[in-house]
Amino acid sequence: MPGEPLQADQALLLDDELWEQVVRASDGMASLCYQCGVCTATCPWGLVLKEPLNVRRLIRRAQLGLEVGGDALWLCTTCGLCELSCPRQVAISQVMLSLRRVAWRRRQVPRGLSRVLWDIQFDGNPWGSPPSHRSAWARGLDVPQFSATDHQVLYYVGCTVAYDRRAQRVARALVSLFRAAAVPFGILGDDEPCCGHAARDLGQLEYARHLAQQGAEIFRRAGVRTLVATSPHCYDMFSRHYPPVSDSFRPLHYTSFLAQLVEEGRLCFRPLPWRVTFHDPCYLGRRHGVVGEPRRILRAIPQLELKEMAHTGPKTLCCGGGGGRMWLETEAHARLSHLRVEEAAATGAQVLVTACPHCIACLEDSVKLRGLPLRVMDVAEVAAAALAGGEMP
Amino acid sequence: MTKPLYRPEEAQGVWVYLEHVGKELTPVSRQLLGKARELAQKKGVHLTGVLLGHEISHLVEEAWAYGADVVLWADHPALRRYVTGPYARVVADAVLSYKPDVLLLGATANGRDLAGRLAVRLRTGLTADCVDLAWEEGSGHLVGWNTGFGGGIMAAILCPYHRPQMATVRPGVFPTPQPQPRRGEEVRLPVHLQEADLQVEVEEEALVPPAGIMSAQVLVVGGRGTGGQFDPLWELARLLGGEVGATRVAVDEGWIERERQIGQTGYVVRPKLAIVCGASGAFQFTVGLQDAETIVAINIDKEAPIFEQADYCVVDDLFQVVPALVRIIKEG
Repeated sequence: MPGEPLQADQALLLDDELWEQVVRASDGMASLCYQCGVCTATCPWGLVLKEPLNVRRLIRRAQLGLEVGGDALWLCTTCGLCELSCPRQVAISQVMLSLRRVAWRRRQVPRGLSRVLWDIQFDGNPWGSPPSHRSAWARGLDVPQFSATDHQVLYYVGCTVAYDRRAQRVARALVSLFRAAAVPFGILGDDEPCCGHAARDLGQLEYARHLAQQGAEIFRRAGVRTLVATSPHCYDMFSRHYPPVSDSFRPLHYTSFLAQLVEEGRLCFRPLPWRVTFHDPCYLGRRHGVVGEPRRILRAIPQLELKEMAHTGPKTLCCGGGGGRMWLETEAHARLSHLRVEEAAATGAQVLVTACPHCIACLEDSVKLRGLPLRVMDVAEVAAAALAGGEMP
Repeated sequence: MTKPLYRPEEAQGVWVYLEHVGKELTPVSRQLLGKARELAQKKGVHLTGVLLGHEISHLVEEAWAYGADVVLWADHPALRRYVTGPYARVVADAVLSYKPDVLLLGATANGRDLAGRLAVRLRTGLTADCVDLAWEEGSGHLVGWNTGFGGGIMAAILCPYHRPQMATVRPGVFPTPQPQPRRGEEVRLPVHLQEADLQVEVEEEALVPPAGIMSAQVLVVGGRGTGGQFDPLWELARLLGGEVGATRVAVDEGWIERERQIGQTGYVVRPKLAIVCGASGAFQFTVGLQDAETIVAINIDKEAPIFEQADYCVVDDLFQVVPALVRIIKEG
């Protein structure tokens, strides 16, 4: 209270070592913040929680070397909306991840997260699924093992898509699209490495770097040039957080690759008289500016009507599944995906289309809980349906 | 290949590392003695129990009673509680002096910890979490049977060139033998600890009681299809001596408390039997059940993905099936 003397236990203890750790882990990013608070105001958690995620205060406390932590730190989905408005261009997500890194050191980590890391270590995927089942999704499809001499493209499936039965349908759709366009491609099968994004998102920056080095070595040895990834999160790892693989290594998200095939006239679609809307995944539309590509694929489908939501393109609204939130619980009343599916339904769309396995899991869950007349599909699934001139799902 | 510290031809005898709590051996130690007795008899060798602690002389007789021919025991204040360093030192020294052929440990928190440290120090192999142990015909090597990769395969693991052949076994895998009034030999082990072994001091031991669903052998799990009616599931669980678990939807809907949620953001459980009622089988849920030994799924939708994971599939209304099961069990 103003005017009253502070009690001894109210004194703040500054920890220079903590500050130095944060500075090191965030490449000095935390120092740039001048505390305007735009981040806190733009953070989407403010839309669903009574108390918004106070990003500014977290950074301020870190700058002062004050104890940082608590649940707030693990809320950040690293969606990057705050970074879009930050006048100092602070890589705020990176600051958040470096604070998580410090939290690991202090063993102030939510229950269950260390298991995710052990699962990556022992099983090569953050779901603890059997490594020998990694290519089970391709059973009966006769997808060849990648060879640099025979194949132009390595299709990188990714952990979630390889094991999640729902997301496996996306991989199968992509295989039918590659084949329709006569793309010579292969997969790494059970040897496919985890990209490491889960480790990075949970603040295990060194371990993620280690995984990236291992992955880069595998790609280098296999002679991979064009890599096409299903998940924007894996794509982000390959394009921004991997050591150089080779001069000719070119990672792509599959929407960029398919858009290219459409432009080259290698993919032709039959009419689909569907009304759809597109949810931009944060790691695609916002972080990598891949906004036009998925839409160009959808627009190439005759009779398909594309409606836009209020939050679109780089200003997309996060599904809530990024930043390691897929491995953390979100109370039912505070799910960003609930807002997003309502927004999608309001456009009158029959199908909510997206291009990320985490988005699909979150959005589909919310559609079910809300009982909305919406179907959640991936761009690849819609495009594959258009190859066949599919019925309304 | 790493050079072994002693040759297989030199190795003899079956050893069991004995854990104890309070004034008695732990159940898994007794179970291991039972199984190891069988192995030792088949080969005509001695069964040795290894016992470490402080003021534990009374446990020697119990180890004899459960099947040990010889008990090697070390008594020292630094061994009062389990700490990796000193325990690994004493056991490793004993192994190198007596050169056993086989060393078995319980797959408990401490047993696993010690086994890993010993295997590295003794430059030998370790087969973790065996579900059965046997001698290989002909070679006489120990075969550790292991359900690898989520139970999809049964692997027979050998350690032919290094000794001791080490294995851990989870509690409950082998039956507990009947104690017999018998006496064996005892040998007091020397305790030579080095400063490097004493880096850790235990200030306090705390046991966290596991959530009911974590330790239950039988789980009856409800999903959206229950519509919130968990009563039949509770009844079935009670009859089978099990617990009730739930999917995230059931928890979100407020039908049951979050402490019972199974899945990636709930608990990862390992029951012997899971009866999954009215859950479609979303991936984030099934990852929490992938270590279950047997899954029975009851769902009205025959396309439900849970059936791809289940061992037994019942395509029917759970409100018909569960009460019928309850009736049959009651009639015995």
